[in-house]
Amino acid sequence: MQKEDENLILEEEFDRSVSPTSSPSQSKENELLRISNLSIVYESKHANLLALDNIDLEIGQNRLIAVVGESGCGKSTLALSIIGLLAMPPAKIMNGKIEYKSINLTALKEKDRRKFRGTEIAMIFQEPLTSLNPVYKVGDQIAEAIAVREERKNDRSMDLESEVMQRTYKVNAPDMPSRLPRFKPGGLTKLLRDEVLQVLKQVRIADAEQVIDRYPFELSGGMRQRVMIAMALAQKPALLIADEPTTALDVTTQAQVLRLMKELIDEVNTSILLITHDLAVASQVADRVIVMYAGDIVEDSDVYDLFREPLHPYSKGLLSCIPVGSKDKAKLKPIPGSVPDLSKPFVGCKYASRCPFAMEICSKRSPRLVEARPNHRVACFLYSGESR
Amino acid sequence: MFSILGGIEIVSLTETVEVRDEDILVASHLKKYYRIRRGFNPFDRSKPKFVRAVEDVSITVPKGKTVAILGESGCGKTTLARAITLLSPPTSGHIFFNGRVIFDGEGGKFRNVNYKELYRDLQMVFQDPDSSLDPRLKVKDIIAEPCKGLLDIEKEAIDAIVMESLKAVGLSQEHAYRLPTHLSGGQKQRVAIARAIAPQPRLVILDEPTSALDASVQAQILNLLLSLQTNYNLTYILITHNISVAEYLSDFLVVMYAGSVVEQGPTASVIANPRHPYTKTLIASAPIPNPLKRTLLTTEIIGEVPSVINPPSGCKFNPRCSYAEQICREKIPELREISPGQFAACHLAEKIP
Repeated sequence: MQKEDENLILEEEFDRSVSPTSSPSQSKENELLRISNLSIVYESKHANLLALDNIDLEIGQNRLIAVVGESGCGKSTLALSIIGLLAMPPAKIMNGKIEYKSINLTALKEKDRRKFRGTEIAMIFQEPLTSLNPVYKVGDQIAEAIAVREERKNDRSMDLESEVMQRTYKVNAPDMPSRLPRFKPGGLTKLLRDEVLQVLKQVRIADAEQVIDRYPFELSGGMRQRVMIAMALAQKPALLIADEPTTALDVTTQAQVLRLMKELIDEVNTSILLITHDLAVASQVADRVIVMYAGDIVEDSDVYDLFREPLHPYSKGLLSCIPVGSKDKAKLKPIPGSVPDLSKPFVGCKYASRCPFAMEICSKRSPRLVEARPNHRVACFLYSGESR
Repeated sequence: MFSILGGIEIVSLTETVEVRDEDILVASHLKKYYRIRRGFNPFDRSKPKFVRAVEDVSITVPKGKTVAILGESGCGKTTLARAITLLSPPTSGHIFFNGRVIFDGEGGKFRNVNYKELYRDLQMVFQDPDSSLDPRLKVKDIIAEPCKGLLDIEKEAIDAIVMESLKAVGLSQEHAYRLPTHLSGGQKQRVAIARAIAPQPRLVILDEPTSALDASVQAQILNLLLSLQTNYNLTYILITHNISVAEYLSDFLVVMYAGSVVEQGPTASVIANPRHPYTKTLIASAPIPNPLKRTLLTTEIIGEVPSVINPPSGCKFNPRCSYAEQICREKIPELREISPGQFAACHLAEKIP
């Protein structure tokens, strides 16, 4: 009994100290998220796969940062670890911290972690149809997001009889078992409905009045992704993680969605972390590009600098793989070989076996990410001054 | 409607078409409609509705060249490929392949086609290697499968062919005994290509051959396709939504929108000087790896692809077109020659910048 009480008190204190809204930002100005030394392993009976290998990264405000890499490079693991949706086990954080506004997220309990999800860090996924609930109308789903936001803002969490909840929902039962407010079909108040409409208009849905009462299956792929973005933005997050948001879409729709995301950064005051496999997409929208390879960040640079002169041999190789123009003009130069097996311990640079510039040192030690030029970090011995 | 350049004359039941010697495949006025089943309402007396997946499409494929069919999802490009291969025969139209009539319009009648002969010369690489390779067959059996049915040869000869095609696509002998689940995405696509080239076809239809692959693997596959084309003297029809892949691989480009061809011509001239507003939009929205040319963010794109059940009147692109005038809403534009070899279905093709 006593022990339990102690725990309770501890938890309460903990709650206060980690509440995202109450703690003032003590970190560097403009810094939103800092990841240091993060290593994540997927454990299984047969092998342990090192998905992220000592990642260092910080994200500022009102920026669009693209994380680019091929499948299996760890970009989705990175995204999921930031928002805290990694399934643990099999995933396990070996070392490192993820600090959001100076709060170490990795040390939090799931209950506290949840308070950051949505209202502070939100995420949109690749396939909007599987991320939307098929049995609720689009408007209800966005309304839920708004309700959660209001609830957290007033910090009278889960108090269903509160004024906020009365205002946002026609709540009928105070003894509801669910922690999140339930929906009555068409139970949106005028106030909430107006807000949903406003969010839908913000993502450039022209006939918002009709869309609000539709089900996800009635919408086209582009519309669904807009609804997803609307849902995420309704919670006014400071950081929006977009994991391959346009991969399932057509090129013209992709252009529309990317343009929308770019415009929303300043409009709603958020940062976007765009996870993509497409270097060309990154070049078109990002302010900063992070190139990942086999669980490492190999290059991290301002977008203009990276495409003017990529430094890491992998970035160079990746760029020469994108077809530009016809076969008669320039033949593609594919990268030879394939990605190393991440379940085996590795010595040296992971790209060395495919690298045309590989030196002796590359197979002995792994390069650190160093600032080769202003705002341009690269993990390669060619630039670290350690080669000789 | 086909240019007469001293080729052979092929007579079908309803149409006489001159096919040039250098053309391996000519499809004319192909249509593919899918009927929408009515519901259970016994009082429903409405007319049957159709999905007009492919509406009056004509294409010509010269020997040894690559024709790319470019369009977004739902534009009918895969349906067109399946119609050409007779996997799902067209509703009407004519197809001439390799000096023969393989499909002869009117009401779905087609002549006695020798499928064995047809598929020896016409093969297809399907969209998703994951679902087009039998998960329970070893790689060598997957590749041998079409040879067994199509070629009348000994088992030993088939084995030799299998090994040769494996080598041609850059896989080694050890891969022959693996199951598809033990291969990476790029290797699976190589197996699918090996299976298609094993019977030594003359025309290969590539349905989105690289859309499921990473950039570096895509580059490998594209170069493989190019080297196979020269080594085996293949003709390709490339179905793709990716304009840079189409530009890289193809000699001729056919741009489709909502079931119809909106523009066609030599790839270089279509991309350098698109005459149809849709082609323009498509080119502008294709991301290029250059942050100094952010065409993606500067072009205004409105609306979405229309329904092919109730397409807009007149030009199907008119609700999204910034140049649209009265005539575009009233009259369906015909595909017409704008500059030598380049055709566009737009009333205002000469006027748009």
